[in-house]
Amino acid sequence: MSEPYLKVEKLVKKFGPFTALNGVSLDVYPGEVHALLGDNGAGKSTLIKVLSGVHTPTSGQLYVAGKPVSIDNPREASAVGIGTVYQDLALNPLLSVTRNFFMGRELYSGLRPFGLMRMAEMDAITHDEMVKIGIDISDPRQTVGTMSGGQRQTLAIARAIHFGAKLLILDEPTSALGQKQQMGVLKTMMRVRARGDIAIIFITHNEIHSKLVADRFTFLALGEVIGRGTKADLEGEDIRRLMAGGAEIGDLAKELASL
Amino acid sequence: MANASQADRSESDRLKRESTFMQMVRRPEAGSFVVMMIVIILIFWASKSQAFNALGIKNNLAIIAQFGIIATGAALLMIAGEFDLSIGSMIGVTGMTMAMVLKYGLNIPAIHFLFINTPRVPLLDTGHPVYAFFIALVIALCFGWLIGTIVVRSGLSSFIVSLGFLFGLRGLTEVCFRLINESTQISGLPDFKEHSLFARAFGGQSFGFLYDLAFATGFNLNRKGEQWVTGLDAKMIWWIIIGIAAYLVLSRTQLGNWIYATGDNKDSARANGVPTRKVKVGLFMFTAFCATIFAACQVFDTNTADAAKGNLKELEAIAIAVVGGTLMTGGFGSVIGVAFGAVTFGLVANAVFYIPWIDGSWYRVFVGTVLLAAVFANERIRKRITGGI
Repeated sequence: MSEPYLKVEKLVKKFGPFTALNGVSLDVYPGEVHALLGDNGAGKSTLIKVLSGVHTPTSGQLYVAGKPVSIDNPREASAVGIGTVYQDLALNPLLSVTRNFFMGRELYSGLRPFGLMRMAEMDAITHDEMVKIGIDISDPRQTVGTMSGGQRQTLAIARAIHFGAKLLILDEPTSALGQKQQMGVLKTMMRVRARGDIAIIFITHNEIHSKLVADRFTFLALGEVIGRGTKADLEGEDIRRLMAGGAEIGDLAKELASL
Repeated sequence: MANASQADRSESDRLKRESTFMQMVRRPEAGSFVVMMIVIILIFWASKSQAFNALGIKNNLAIIAQFGIIATGAALLMIAGEFDLSIGSMIGVTGMTMAMVLKYGLNIPAIHFLFINTPRVPLLDTGHPVYAFFIALVIALCFGWLIGTIVVRSGLSSFIVSLGFLFGLRGLTEVCFRLINESTQISGLPDFKEHSLFARAFGGQSFGFLYDLAFATGFNLNRKGEQWVTGLDAKMIWWIIIGIAAYLVLSRTQLGNWIYATGDNKDSARANGVPTRKVKVGLFMFTAFCATIFAACQVFDTNTADAAKGNLKELEAIAIAVVGGTLMTGGFGSVIGVAFGAVTFGLVANAVFYIPWIDGSWYRVFVGTVLLAAVFANERIRKRITGGI
């Protein structure tokens, strides 16, 4: 086993009297999909916000590629190769695909910020990067508003990878999508995984999706890790039970029927 | 899995490449171009072409250029998602500042009012166009920076913040006028254009060669058969400079992408490293700059200033920006559309001079109607380009 790209050690995050994360540890390996599961309020969002530099941890240590790092803002996160694809995807619907792809990191000749954008070059790169992970957009100058949810997800992922993300954090990438588009996003994830050099943290509520793509699982409940393991370690009911924060939901069907 | 890959492919294929004509129709300036053409034809017909003779073109372009200068600033700011209602009052402040410095030099009585018996410095006793302009510009940029900073720091609506400055700056202008000048207007300044190239650059003439050429080829004659009109106003040059610069910045440069991104969704723009706050503050300063140019053209042209100058101009600027295809919600718009809007509004505002039987107040009826129509049209265009979201 190679060394983890990201190692999280005993991470604690407190908001005043409220403890959002209480000593969470996590190892994420390149070329693997690491599913981060847990019910609402388990601390998933806080964890990824710490990893992407939105929050600074109260205590605990992050290691990237074996080196201890501190991430104080989003820019530092992307500098160490952590790219976060949020649920809202950080896309602008009225702008073209290319303009979204290079938003804030335009290729230009001349003096910043008045440099002329190299539009043709940017169009070509956008198209190529999208093809690499599985979507051939016919026209990179179309507005993002005309794209489907799955295509937008792919655009956001392609953008993160192009700008040097070695750890991709996908925040519920399959929620709010149709059945076919969900499959498309999962395939995109597997194509990224197949490159072998990128680690993926996959946050989801969907047990089936996590089983389909994840190599490794971590379950959070009330700010603590309540279970972890590889795909082989965890089978069947275990995953469902841990996802619900350890509660027994086996009798749910019976209970519902009796109502 | 064969089915799934089929579905993936068809997703992109659903977007057809459109014909060149359809792409033109979807451009933000398409609607304003149509409105402009209709207005030009109607006014040409109703004025029996009087509106487009040598003098008519000069007078029309004078007001069109004025509109164009401030509407360009307002449009860029609107594309970035903010409003500036203080443009008109900014014109008042900068016009006053320039006229005051021209009249009193830097020995303005306020200094004597504050520090009684300060010695007068004879060198600063007379005004000079160059420092009159730059003092006004610095003041305007400071106010623009202040408005922008308050907006981005407080997160308040720019509508309210700049409304505060609309009242505040206008009041300040009147107070300063009365305090220093003992009257809310300054007139009878010497004609600085005679000696100062700098003053001519704002208040003088431009494109004289076109009128000379027209005269040489047998047009542009007055009743005696001499050359009638000698040139356009210098504002025309400023409108062209500001318009072309704004067009290039918006459509070609990195900053342009930042302006669009900031207005479309400022949170996602910021998440991607766009300095949205700097963009907004910069654009508030740009509208202040446009207001200063507007005021300079007026002051050096007429050699007068008045506390009421620029009143309601901010609303006209915003109306022109909207008619030009700029979305009220930001993220979409074009400088070319704004130019069409300025031509439309300028022609209609001046129509009363060429069409004797028309009541000048129809101008405002027109503004209201076209504005509403434009908002509806813009909303439709927005829905079409974003696929109905």
